[in-house]
Amino acid sequence: MRNLNVYITVAGIYLLVSFLMPGPAWALQSHGAPEGICVHQMAHILFAGALAYLYWHTRKSPAIASRGWRYLQYFCGILIAWNLLAFTGHELYELLTPEDFINKDTWSEQLSPPLSGVKIIYYIAKMDHVFMVPALFYLVRSLKTFYREARLEVNK
Amino acid sequence: MSSIPLLPALIVEFFGSAAAILLSFYAVRYSLALVRLQPNNFIWGFLFYFCSTMAAFALSRGVGHIVRITLVYTDHNDLWKQLSPFSGGFNTLLIVSVAAVTIYYHKGLAAYKAIRSEARKLAEANTKLAASAKQLQTLNTHLEEIVEERTRNLSESEKKFRNFFENSKDIVYFCDKNGQITNINSSGKLLLGFENNPNVINFHELFNDKEALQSYLDGLAEKGFVSDLEMECTGRNGTTRHILLTANALYDKDRSLIGCEGIGKDMTRIKNMTEQLINHEKMASVGQMAAGVAHEINTPLGIILGYTQLMMDDFDENSETHSSLQIMERQIQACRRIVADLLKFSRQTESTKAAIDLNDIVLNVLSVTEHSLNIQNITVNRQLAPDLPRVTGDAEKLQQVMINLFNNAQQAMESGGEIVIFTAAEKNLVRLTVQDSGTGIDSTIKNKIFDPFFTTKDVGKGTGLGLSVTYGIIKEHNGRIEVESPVLDRGSQRELQGSAFHIWLPVTPETAESQKEQD
Ligand SMILES: Nc1ncnc2c1ncn2[C@@H]1O[C@H](COP(=O)(O)OP(=O)(O)OP(=O)(O)O)[C@@H](O)[C@H]1O
Ligand SMILES: [Mg+2]
Repeated sequence: MRNLNVYITVAGIYLLVSFLMPGPAWALQSHGAPEGICVHQMAHILFAGALAYLYWHTRKSPAIASRGWRYLQYFCGILIAWNLLAFTGHELYELLTPEDFINKDTWSEQLSPPLSGVKIIYYIAKMDHVFMVPALFYLVRSLKTFYREARLEVNK
Repeated sequence: MSSIPLLPALIVEFFGSAAAILLSFYAVRYSLALVRLQPNNFIWGFLFYFCSTMAAFALSRGVGHIVRITLVYTDHNDLWKQLSPFSGGFNTLLIVSVAAVTIYYHKGLAAYKAIRSEARKLAEANTKLAASAKQLQTLNTHLEEIVEERTRNLSESEKKFRNFFENSKDIVYFCDKNGQITNINSSGKLLLGFENNPNVINFHELFNDKEALQSYLDGLAEKGFVSDLEMECTGRNGTTRHILLTANALYDKDRSLIGCEGIGKDMTRIKNMTEQLINHEKMASVGQMAAGVAHEINTPLGIILGYTQLMMDDFDENSETHSSLQIMERQIQACRRIVADLLKFSRQTESTKAAIDLNDIVLNVLSVTEHSLNIQNITVNRQLAPDLPRVTGDAEKLQQVMINLFNNAQQAMESGGEIVIFTAAEKNLVRLTVQDSGTGIDSTIKNKIFDPFFTTKDVGKGTGLGLSVTYGIIKEHNGRIEVESPVLDRGSQRELQGSAFHIWLPVTPETAESQKEQD
């Protein structure tokens, strides 16, 4: 618990500092600079890998036989998919040029014709929350299940 | 083909971000609750870390999206451009963190599992230990009870067998393989007369008959037991005891003989009784024969006597023939006496019975015989009980009994001695004892002296009919006669030289006696 507190404190301070002292902005888009996007994509791959590992591990050796693990596995699966989608989205965004957008940075922003596969997939990738929200939903369900069972066990 | 508006994607992005933040914080809440519930569970700890980083990521990303949308679409593009790298960098950082937490999961889990299994084993061992401790405790408390009960049962059983052993009227003994008695019950000690030196008895030495000992030893060695073996041994006070022996050999683990246990039944009484019974039979048959012979001889003897006396009248008293006839007459008279004795013995003669006082009979006989006894240096000691109950009997025959006994006593004391006469009342019997200090009677002939014609005396001195006639008379009076030699003095418990004849006669019932007096 003490480690956790330290962790939270450090994270909070870092957040504050980073917001209050904005440095020079090299990036054009979310991860404009090649290095930034590269690190970000690597992080996505790492995350997907870690989730796959967790999925495999919980499947292989369920420490506690519970429905909670099943939900956690769903969460892992969906979040892996989300990672891949997000990764694809970032990759595709690099392929798109300013000419592919109409009314960029306005409410009526559009993808200009002619439509290509890249544009369609980019469009889908932009709606990555369709994956992320269900994944988190399963995470919550998993924890809820664990909690209920743990309560029963403690009360017993 | 027309263009695709990005607005739906933006709306999804906006609300999706909000939903993601909300859900991730929900997850944190539950994981925190789990950690609080079971602080020692590693998995909950991991999930809490995971959810926290996940929430941080969702927050960072979601806020980033929302801020971007609000800034960009409200013409604050410049500001967003400034914030964007932070937001992006921060997102990357948190993704890496989540991944890192996840990767470390397995190491922690393994440790946790190991600890958990150890803990479970420990708990199991603990419960086992507690169970066995409890078992041990109950066993302990029960053990005492069990031991107590067993001991009680054992001592009861021991008591039972000890009682059986001690109270048995038979000889019960245990001895080792050399015959040394290790244990013998009190009946045995009493019978064999070892109350005082019970330690140094060899059972084998008790056998009077070496042949019986051999068959006893052979039986034990060959069959492992002997049953109903007749043995003769010298018991208390030197009396001969007939014992019916049943014994079993005892073996050790290696089946080698270590001794034997046995039961001996004292058959002396039964044996004596059987012998007496045989005697009776013998007497009865001899008596019958004698009676027949006597009766047949009596008639010709009478005729011979008659003619002899007739012939005596024909000759002169001083003639040789007359004196020869006189000798013949005397001898014929002697023959008739013998025949009369035989008839008396076989109860063939008539008898007249009355209530009589034995003391009177004794005094009558003594008045005639005492003089001749005194000449032979024999003193007569009268120990007559006063007020002796009367007995029913033939006075003449009982006098004959007395004369026979006195004669025998006299003949046993050639160089003088003492005759003691006792009379005594014993319950509904009267006892008469004639005791002398003579030669005594050897135990080998003790059971023959009542036989007709049994005598140890020279030819002409005794016919061997005296005691058999006596026996017949006493039987006729429903009495009993026994011989004792040597004599045990009742006062000093010493054995006296000589013999004693005891006679028991039934007392006349009071009513019958008074009736007789009225007649
Ligand atoms: N008082 C005694 N002391 C020693 N021996 C005795 C005595 N009375 C009897 N006997 C023995 O018993 C035997 C039998 O006695 P029993 O009176 O029947 O015959 P007996 O005396 O020999 O002859 P009988 O009496 O006919 O003249 C005797 O020969 C004698 O050996
Ligand atoms: Mg005699």
